[in-house]
Amino acid sequence: MVDKIKVENLSCYYNKKCVLESLSINVIQNEILSIIGPSNSGKTTFLRTLNRMNDLDSIHSRKGEVYLDNNSIFDMDMEDLRRRIGMLFAMPTPLPMSIYENIVYAPKRLGLISKKPEQDALVVRALKDASLWNEVKDRLKSSAMEMSGGQQQRLCIARILAINPEVILFDEPCSGLDPISTAKIEESMIELKRKYTMVLVTNNVKQASRVSDRTAFFLMGKIIEIDTTDKMFVSPKERQTEDYITGRFG
Amino acid sequence: MIRLSPKLSQKFSYLILFLATTLAITPVIVIIFIIVKNGMSVINWEFLASMPKNGMRDGGVLPAIVGTFVIVTCTIILTLPTGLCAAIYLNEYARDNIFARVIKLGILNLAGVPSVVYGLFGFGIFVMFLKLGVSIIAGALTLSIMELPVIITTSRNALNSVPYSFREASWALGVSRWQTIRHIVLPNALPGIMTGAVLSIARISGETAPILFTAAAFYVPHLPHSIFDQVMTLPYHLYIISTQIPNMPNNIIFGTALILLVMVLAISFVAIFVRIYFRKHRKW
Amino acid sequence: MRKIVDTIIEKIIFLCGISSVIFVILIFSFLFIESFVFFKDFSIIKFITGRYWYPDSKLALFGIFSLLVGSFLVTLGACLIAVPISIMTALYISEVASKNVRDILKSLVELMVAIPSVVIGFIGMIVLVPCVKKLFNIPTGLTAFSGSVMLAFMAMPTIVTISEDAIRSVPWQYKEGALALGATKWQTMRWIVLKTARPGIIAATMLGIGRVIGETMTVIMITGNSSRIPHSIFEPVRTMTAVIATEIGETVNGSMHYKALFSIGLVLFLITFLINFVADLFLEKNKNK
Repeated sequence: MVDKIKVENLSCYYNKKCVLESLSINVIQNEILSIIGPSNSGKTTFLRTLNRMNDLDSIHSRKGEVYLDNNSIFDMDMEDLRRRIGMLFAMPTPLPMSIYENIVYAPKRLGLISKKPEQDALVVRALKDASLWNEVKDRLKSSAMEMSGGQQQRLCIARILAINPEVILFDEPCSGLDPISTAKIEESMIELKRKYTMVLVTNNVKQASRVSDRTAFFLMGKIIEIDTTDKMFVSPKERQTEDYITGRFG
Repeated sequence: MIRLSPKLSQKFSYLILFLATTLAITPVIVIIFIIVKNGMSVINWEFLASMPKNGMRDGGVLPAIVGTFVIVTCTIILTLPTGLCAAIYLNEYARDNIFARVIKLGILNLAGVPSVVYGLFGFGIFVMFLKLGVSIIAGALTLSIMELPVIITTSRNALNSVPYSFREASWALGVSRWQTIRHIVLPNALPGIMTGAVLSIARISGETAPILFTAAAFYVPHLPHSIFDQVMTLPYHLYIISTQIPNMPNNIIFGTALILLVMVLAISFVAIFVRIYFRKHRKW
Repeated sequence: MRKIVDTIIEKIIFLCGISSVIFVILIFSFLFIESFVFFKDFSIIKFITGRYWYPDSKLALFGIFSLLVGSFLVTLGACLIAVPISIMTALYISEVASKNVRDILKSLVELMVAIPSVVIGFIGMIVLVPCVKKLFNIPTGLTAFSGSVMLAFMAMPTIVTISEDAIRSVPWQYKEGALALGATKWQTMRWIVLKTARPGIIAATMLGIGRVIGETMTVIMITGNSSRIPHSIFEPVRTMTAVIATEIGETVNGSMHYKALFSIGLVLFLITFLINFVADLFLEKNKNK
């Protein structure tokens, strides 16, 4: 069991207001770690700190350290870090271009591929890995904006897979989707576990129990409890965790 | 005083508002009508494509058309890249601090400066201080500084209308900020930027005061050879022939005014068309 | 390599970003330096309050009081005409007209912006000036009044467009609240909409003034260019902009006259700066409602 990401005493502030309080947590290689908790508990802030999406926000500040393979992410080149840690947003964010171009966009910009056959192969592989290939193989040139919400979200997954990240962050990826699309995305996530390490932030407690190996419960910017998903859902140690999981608040 | 019932007073007020609106749009229609009616008769190929003759009282307006075209082209070449970059800086890079506020104040201020003061400044700095003389380049520099705030503002609005989520999606894939701007933001903001630029072209084509003493010439017997030549332009030519030349035949003045008007309105329509077209075909 | 290119481009973008500030500073300091030299030789009090602008006589006098009065008179006249009409038009367009009519009216109003000021001046010369002469039975139609009328047309698009934005940004809850209490639509407009949109309308008016005060070509062509202090709006006047535009070509570089014109430029610069700054404050106020 190797720690892929290690977070030590991380605190985050928005306009001096503390939203994460000296957090320490680790993410193990090839696991799915779920983070659950009510809104405003700091889940998304935590996730956006891991690939430094918060850095562009001028009112944001932080303390503490995050290590990826024992190297501090704050010393890394930002673009390089984001290539290694991909992120899927709550709402599908296809770029306004064709399905094909959406996938080759980042690899082209990053200089990973150039030749046309390489691009074609990459598109096929990424779409297959995101289990989208069968649905779109006949219309790769059509606009990504015309797909359904669930397809768009899986396209975004394919887009991340195309740059070969090591970790993928999911920020409530199914919040805008219907149950069938949600099931498809969860399927892909379990499928992807063999190759990638994943962190899933979700409002949906059941989703966490379905897909994740371990679950952490956040409340008001603090970790209340972290354990294997099975244990957490069967016999939580903390009263607050139990109340949240059973739906007494949140 | 008689008090009207609320219903009646509403009807009465609407009538007044309607009359005011009619009053506000009449001038445009009247001006265009008068110029078209009186100017049509002189417009022919000869008028468009020949030099003025007989102390401007005869012949055509070719050098003024060419001159306007040249000076507008030079201006837009100078101002569009600068303005666009400034807009990119303000919208994509600047954080909301004192420094950005100073720049915004600067743009606001530039936008309010009267065009004749630009002319004065251009005369002082480009014509005299930099010794460019009264020339196309001095005029174009003056006009481009004048047009800068307009370009910055319209480009900035265009950039701002591109959803923030596109940028985030691109950054999250490890693409750098400039690459994101270059490949995602700019292509999607292009219609808005183009519309702004074309409207600027229309505005510059009609300007007189800034080039009065930086570029314009009363009469040049040949078409401009280089950017250091003086130049005739349509608006300045119209000013000259309508105020400075005695016994000027009215129909030639009207004809010149018509050409200027048609040019400016046609360019504006192109801009409006571009805007409508892209709004319909936008995918987001 | 990719990184280096990015950095260079970002540096260029930054430089362009500060260019506007550089130009403002450049314009201001250029005007200021020339004026400063001028005011060392000619008292600033005499410059502002002097009644006579005789730049060419042996004992040159550079009093701009008559020019200030000229600019003020033309601007005031234009505002008196343009502001009420524009506000009523804005109300009509945003609250009364149907959607299709609104679009047509708006484009017609905005079309006026596109017409070059020389064309407006020329039409004023040919159409308005003879009318004014006959109508008021005065020796010349080249008067401050003629200028005011034409400039009012030019200010209207600015005032209409910005007022309309302000009126439309009035939250619909305010209107519904009044309508629910039994007020007619007109009463709601009169007492609720106009009041809430006031900061925006004031800003619109100020920006209109800014446009009128800086207008040059129209003014040269139809206000008569006489630097006597006028007694009424039906006399010829001369504005600051007209003096700069007509005289700069004839001055000797570095002469007192040359510097005096730059000092007028500085006065114009400061006036318009103030107007725009205040207008922007009102616009911000309108936005933060």
